[in-house]
Order: sequence, then C-alpha cells, then structure tokens
Amino acid sequence: MTFSNNPWVWVAAILTLCIFSFLYKENPFYRFAEHLFVGISAGYGVAIYWNNAIVPNLYVPVFLQHNLWFIIPGLIGLLFFFRFSSKTGWLILIPLAVLLGTGSGMSLAPTFQTDILKQMQSAIGDATNLQLGGWGLVWGLVTFIGVLTTLSYFFFSREQKGALKISANIGIWFIMIGFGASFGNTVMGRISLLIGRVQFLLTDWIHLIK
Amino acid sequence: MKILENLTKINRRYIFLLVALAVIFPLVIPMKLPTIPGKYTIKLYDFIDQIPPQSQPILIAADYSPSMMPELQPMLEAVIRHCFAKGIRIVVLTLDPNGAVLSETALQKIAPEYGAVNGRDYAFLGFKPGSSIVMMSIGENFRQAFPTDFYGTPLDSLPMMNGIRNYADVPLVLSIAGSAITQGWINYAHTRYHANVGAGCTAVSTADYYPFLQAGQLVGLLNGMKGASEYEYLNKKNGYSSAAPVATKGMNAVSIVHLLLMLFIILGNIGYLVTRHNQSKK
Repeated sequence: MTFSNNPWVWVAAILTLCIFSFLYKENPFYRFAEHLFVGISAGYGVAIYWNNAIVPNLYVPVFLQHNLWFIIPGLIGLLFFFRFSSKTGWLILIPLAVLLGTGSGMSLAPTFQTDILKQMQSAIGDATNLQLGGWGLVWGLVTFIGVLTTLSYFFFSREQKGALKISANIGIWFIMIGFGASFGNTVMGRISLLIGRVQFLLTDWIHLIK
Repeated sequence: MKILENLTKINRRYIFLLVALAVIFPLVIPMKLPTIPGKYTIKLYDFIDQIPPQSQPILIAADYSPSMMPELQPMLEAVIRHCFAKGIRIVVLTLDPNGAVLSETALQKIAPEYGAVNGRDYAFLGFKPGSSIVMMSIGENFRQAFPTDFYGTPLDSLPMMNGIRNYADVPLVLSIAGSAITQGWINYAHTRYHANVGAGCTAVSTADYYPFLQAGQLVGLLNGMKGASEYEYLNKKNGYSSAAPVATKGMNAVSIVHLLLMLFIILGNIGYLVTRHNQSKK
C-alpha cells in the first residue's frame, strides 16, 4: 500500500472522509466539506454560465458585433435582479412570464405526443397485436390492465366501491410492484455512488487496488 | 425471542460498518461474478455495432455531473471505446455545466488508446446552456447551437463535420444523463425530429424510462453501473477493449451489498413481527 504523491488526490480523499464522517454523527469536518462543496459549486456555476451564456449570447453580439437587438432579452433577463427589492419586486414577473411561456410553448406539443399519444398507442397496440403472439401478447395485456387499473386507483371523482374498488385494489398491486422496482434501482444507484468513492480512495489515494 | 426483538434496535453505525466492509472486500479481492447482459443493453450495443465504420457520426450527450460519475462515466467510456474500436465517429456535447470536464477527460484518455484524432474521428462541442433550445437548434443545424467546437474551431473546419447538418445526419442520439434531460432528447430529437434516441441513466431513474423503451421511443437503455458493466462485458467479448472494467469490478460489490441489505430487510421484518406479536400478547 503506497499513498498518492498528488496533492489534489489528497485534498479529494480528505474531503471524502470528511463527508463520510457524517455517518458517525454531525461534526465540524462534515460541515466544512459541505460548505466548501456548495460554495465551489456556486462559484463554478457562475463562471461557466458567464463564459457559455452571457459572453456568447450578450457580450459578443452587442459589444463586438453591434447587434443591438440582443439588448432586449438582456434587459428582460436583468429584471430577475428586482427580486431583491420589495417595492419593484413585481418586475420579476416579466422574465418569469417570458420563461414559462417559451418553455410551455416549446414543450407542450412534443410532451403531449411523447407522454400521452405514443404511450396510449403502445399500451393499446401491444394488448391487441395478435402478431406479437406468445409472451409478447401476454405482457402487452398485463401492461394494458396495469395501466387501466392504476389509473382507476387515481380516479377520485367517485367513491371507490364495487367494480371501481376491485380495479383500484388491483391497481395498488401494480403501483407497489412499480415502487419495488424503483426502490431496488435506487438502492443500486446509491450503493454505486458509495462504490465510486471507495474505488477512488482505494485506487487513486492508497493504491491498494489496480 | 429477546434476540429477535433486538434486531430492530441495532445501532445504525454497525450496519454502515458492515456495508463498508461489503463494499471494500469485493473490490480488494475480485470475485469474478458472472455478467449477463440485459435485453436493452444488447439492443443498444447492437444498434451501435451495426453502424458502418467512417459513416455518419453518432451524437453523444454526456449530461451529468460528478455526483453521478461512478455510474455514468464508465458507461460513456465503454461506448466511446466501442465506437473508436469500430471506427464509428462521434460528436460529444453536454448540456450540464459539469459535464464538459468529465466528457473531455474521457475522450482525452481513450482517444490515444485507439489512435483517434480530434476533428477526424471525433468532435467535442463542450457545454451549452438552455437544454431544450439547444436540442431544437440542433434539429435545424448543429452550427446554430455550436458555431465552434469546445476549442474554438469552427465546425465547418472539422473534416468529420462535413455534410453533418442536423439529426437527419446522425444515426443515433445517445443521452447519458443523471436527470430528466433524457426526456428532453426524446421529446425534441425523437418526437419532433424523428431521430433514433438511446439512453444511459442512473439506476435511480431507470424505471422512468421503461415506458419509452416499451413504446419504441428509445432504441436501448443502459441501467446505471449494471448497464455500464454489461457494455464493458460486450466490448471485451467482441475484442473491442482490453481496458480495466471499472463498472464490472463495482458490480461485484453491488451484488454483495444487495445480499447484505436483503438479509437486513428480512431480519428487520422478523424483528418487527416478533415485537408486534409480543406487544399484542401484553
């Protein structure tokens, strides 16, 4: 076992251990690493957005190419800073409206097609496509029943009794299976992150594994 | 019975310690557990594999930050290795501010292994803010969103970008992301511009993407570290890579920790049931 000669690896390793120390209990080392991380992230974000958003989209067109139209979106963007004023804070509604309006306008049609139309086509298509045959058809039907019964569970306009209750109860089983799959994947994801850090400590820092 | 009741009162620090040991042990002493590639990993792998060498490039969007690196970086590296080994050209970009450093690191590490040259075999476009606007701009022309590559070279000066205008000129858009940004690629690149989209995502968000696979909106999916290890396995099996399989080593540890957690869940439930039974008796 030999330790790394790279001072940055040492910094990263010590900060990693500081964060892990939270597992024992809350302590100043953890607090230091946490605050450092948040501060560096914010600073990095400002620098990145300055160089990749403000400079090419505002500074270069306005000051170097003298394309003055770009001043208008620039000024609308600056209205965000009125958030700090209690009297003129309402001005922030203007850039927010532009942002939400553009976002919704751009995403409405494709989201409707992607999440609703195409999904409905697929759910109905797989359940009725006899050409799929065998297990393909079985799973198509299972998916179709799962979609209907799950939706019926979220149908709150009528009291859940009779057929709706049976359907909603079946829907709960599908929801639980879905949650179980998500939980299993979540555990795997979190453990993968831990493994990534441990691999760094054992490989880059103390060279225990190659 | 007292022992079973005490199962619900174990100090969490002992559990953390056991999890740490279950992670460290398989990493230090490799266990060589078998890797069985999943259906959707194979579909994505085969899709990339059938792209002819030196044809149009695939677009890889590395939209993730260091917090997702253990799962997604091995995935990106495995796909880049596959492409370079097959002579498939790639265009890499990122819509996450932190993604530029990670994807550039991967390219600079792997390109020399295969003699790949910037501008001829790959192009690195870097980071651009405004994800959905960038996705739509690419639908019109790459040059609208990225007039130059990451290093300031105009796209028209890069030999591999000749004749590459928009999604119609790329056989696949591969979104490797740790957030819902993949949904954006499906919305805009696939639904609006009819591009083929594949995805690599963190295990946490995998369940969100299965409906898109089932509906044929994704050509394949890599599921977290497991997906990365499966891709590494397929690369190795086909002789495309001899690099150390980082994700595969990690998956050994994942398997052991999963067994440990299942044991904890079973013991915890037994403890809970015994406690409840005893309380009802009283």
